[in-house]
Amino acid sequence: MAPSQASHVPTLDSLIKAFNNQLLEASIESLIFLLKRRQVKGDECAKATAHILRQVVAKSKWHDVDQLLSRVQSAGSRVARAAPQEPVIGNVVRRVLGLIRDEASEDRNADDYGSEAASDIQSLAPSAPLPQRPPPVPVRPSPSVIAGGGLQVSKSMFNLLSVADTDSPMTGASTPLSQAQPASVHALRSEVMDGIEEILDEINQADDQIAGFSEIQIHPGDYVLAYQPSRTVERFLVKAASKRRFTVIIAGLESPTHGATEAPYAALRKKLNGAGVKTINLASNGLMAYIPRVNKVIFSAKAVYQNGGLLVDSGCCIAAQAAHEYLKPVIVLSPVYKFCPEDPSDEVSRGELGNPSGYVSYANGPAVDALDIENTVTDYIPPELIDVYLTNLGPQTRHHLASILADHYKTEDIGFNLHLGES
Amino acid sequence: MAAEANGAPSPAPAAQDGTKTAPAPANPTAAPANTEKLTAAQLKAKAKAEKAARRAQVKEARVAAPAALSTQEKGGAADAKGGKGKGKQDGQQAQNKGGHLQAHRPSISGRRPSMPAVEKDVRSGIPECFSHIPMAKRIPTSQAHKDVHPAVLAVGQQMATFALKDSISRLKATLLAFRKVIESYETPKGNSLSRHFVPHVLNPQIEYLTECRPMCFAMGNAIRLLKGKVNKFDIDTAEDEAKEGLLEWIDFLINERITLTEYAIARNAAQSINEGDTILTYGRHRLVEKALLEAKNNGKSFDVTVIDDPFECGGQELAKTLRQAGIRVLYSPNLGGLRPKVAAASNVFLGGEAIFANGSLHAPSGTADVAMAAMNAGVKVIVLCETINFDRDRVSVDSLTYNEIDPERNTADCFRLLFDNTHDKYITGVITEFESGGGNSPAQAILALLRKQEDPLID
Repeated sequence: MAPSQASHVPTLDSLIKAFNNQLLEASIESLIFLLKRRQVKGDECAKATAHILRQVVAKSKWHDVDQLLSRVQSAGSRVARAAPQEPVIGNVVRRVLGLIRDEASEDRNADDYGSEAASDIQSLAPSAPLPQRPPPVPVRPSPSVIAGGGLQVSKSMFNLLSVADTDSPMTGASTPLSQAQPASVHALRSEVMDGIEEILDEINQADDQIAGFSEIQIHPGDYVLAYQPSRTVERFLVKAASKRRFTVIIAGLESPTHGATEAPYAALRKKLNGAGVKTINLASNGLMAYIPRVNKVIFSAKAVYQNGGLLVDSGCCIAAQAAHEYLKPVIVLSPVYKFCPEDPSDEVSRGELGNPSGYVSYANGPAVDALDIENTVTDYIPPELIDVYLTNLGPQTRHHLASILADHYKTEDIGFNLHLGES
Repeated sequence: MAAEANGAPSPAPAAQDGTKTAPAPANPTAAPANTEKLTAAQLKAKAKAEKAARRAQVKEARVAAPAALSTQEKGGAADAKGGKGKGKQDGQQAQNKGGHLQAHRPSISGRRPSMPAVEKDVRSGIPECFSHIPMAKRIPTSQAHKDVHPAVLAVGQQMATFALKDSISRLKATLLAFRKVIESYETPKGNSLSRHFVPHVLNPQIEYLTECRPMCFAMGNAIRLLKGKVNKFDIDTAEDEAKEGLLEWIDFLINERITLTEYAIARNAAQSINEGDTILTYGRHRLVEKALLEAKNNGKSFDVTVIDDPFECGGQELAKTLRQAGIRVLYSPNLGGLRPKVAAASNVFLGGEAIFANGSLHAPSGTADVAMAAMNAGVKVIVLCETINFDRDRVSVDSLTYNEIDPERNTADCFRLLFDNTHDKYITGVITEFESGGGNSPAQAILALLRKQEDPLID
């Protein structure tokens, strides 16, 4: 059934194209179905979420910032609930919410000179819906920057910058307060849309940016163990291959029972071999045997949690653990949009169960009847096994993840996933 | 007298004929037995091969003549079954007979020239960084050294094809085959068994077995013991007496170090299983299976988690066996989710192929990952291993020192090593046949253990 249906399955690209001609509701529903069927998964989720939120901003009806926020929140949580195994969706929703808040506060600052403090204080209220567009509270236009900075630690530096910006001459060009409503809605909409475009650009460019660091990480003569190389890892290795001669050991081949005609990762290996880089496919369960030969282990994460732990495809944990034992560096490739401002749940550390029929055939009646078969497809890797988090912003250690998270997410939105369970 | 004298000449030539032709009738009787087993296709192939042989007569003659000569010379000593003084034809038939024990027998002629090329190919695919590691190889029985005993040929083939896989079953088969070799051995005149047997008869067998698949450490130990035993015989010991002694010794070794050991280890390990435990094991190992079944028979109730290697799938069989015995089994086909599974277990039981002098464990690939995960989670790791598997001369600190390449996955497209090396710090204890009462010793203690337990009957 799979091959015949393959042609009917809308790919992500065609889906995104279709978004423009569809009603908003239809677009959301079709994405939700794809997510539930896992036809959109992994890195694609981030892109799809950004696109759908762009549609929400463009097409849904809203008259002020709060309405926009709640529209995005509700659409975002519906999408996120469709694929709870993809924390990336929640991250993108949080990014968009943070973007809206930023734009809104800029607007307000632009709108009236005196309300900086007020808007700052409002944005403080954690995850409380913002009050209706506030009447200019008669607060003294005092050095409020300091007050705001004192209260809110994580944003203090940014407030400094943003306030400095809004104090610049552009304030003079702002519309008078009385007519602000429709015009500012229009402006906000286009600003937010632009912001989402930027997020999309970031998502699209992340792999290339990460690949830019490959020269620093891979040295001539290295033996690099790549566990189930994803697209990000492939780019990274191919980029490195243009400058360096090394050997790639590809581990984590899928179940051997399905006799694939072509050797796995053939395309990647062809590219690497073409560049003069040797490749070896490992068909092995355990990896301890090969680690003495390996110089570093590279794989990509599905998500990075705020404690530095990783959500990965199952088996990466074996690689990380073995490398850690031999003190070989473990390098995780993860774009910033995969960093989650939350802690891993119990379900994450237990791992997700996948279809075991690749290992124990349904034709094998006695085994299917008698055994409890668990094919775990995701693993949680504790932070102490990871040496380098290579992001599109450069290499990081786990001690500085908090500052990255603070830069990209607003404290109000961190609780976003907590609302997932409701309704 | 005259009558006797007259009568005698007539039967005497007959008797002489009988003795002279004795090998000849023996062969025809053997040959039909062979042909009965041959299928039509095999017959055809054989006929074809013979035709090819005839066509290449001129060529063949040059090669075959010296070969035939050498079989004539040494045939008596090496190939007892073939009889003495046989010609080329007989030699071939005898080879045929020996070879027919295995199904993989190729036709005699026409293969040789192509073999070296194939041989090169087999190893050429191995990535350079692993090229020092040996690999099992299927040698056509026609390629084997002519002195190799048919029983050893059969064992060699089974090892090369991994029909005999774990160290103990390989050891047992080897010892039984050597038993046959000793039974059929006759000391040539002017030699004594203690001087002649090892270099001229035993060594070719060992070489052949090593060529089929690198020897496991248990085989190495047993062969060392066997050679020591042979050398201990006085040069004047009667051949029958020596042979009898060797055969008895082999039986004793099999009984003491394999049969009884298995029972003792299973009993010791079963005692260390507590009511309500969850035992985690990796792959399928005979001793672990025996121990778990023994514990179940003792009336203990416990759960078992079987982690498997998808490239071997032995664990699935183990899981089914345990399930049939009424044990609750959780089966995981790969190492995914290893950490939570190990953390939920109360004991990890691992079977080993060998233990080195530094206490590190040589076991099927993946064992080290399981042991390490268990130790990190604070779960006991218990290794079950016979002392015949202990190697007191070698030390291994990583898995690339002593290992084997999977002959089916030996190229850059698909590569796999069969074993890995578990550092002794990831092993809580080793259960051997020597320890009683469920106690076990740390892996580092094996040298001390071996010295203490040296067995005068075996060494």
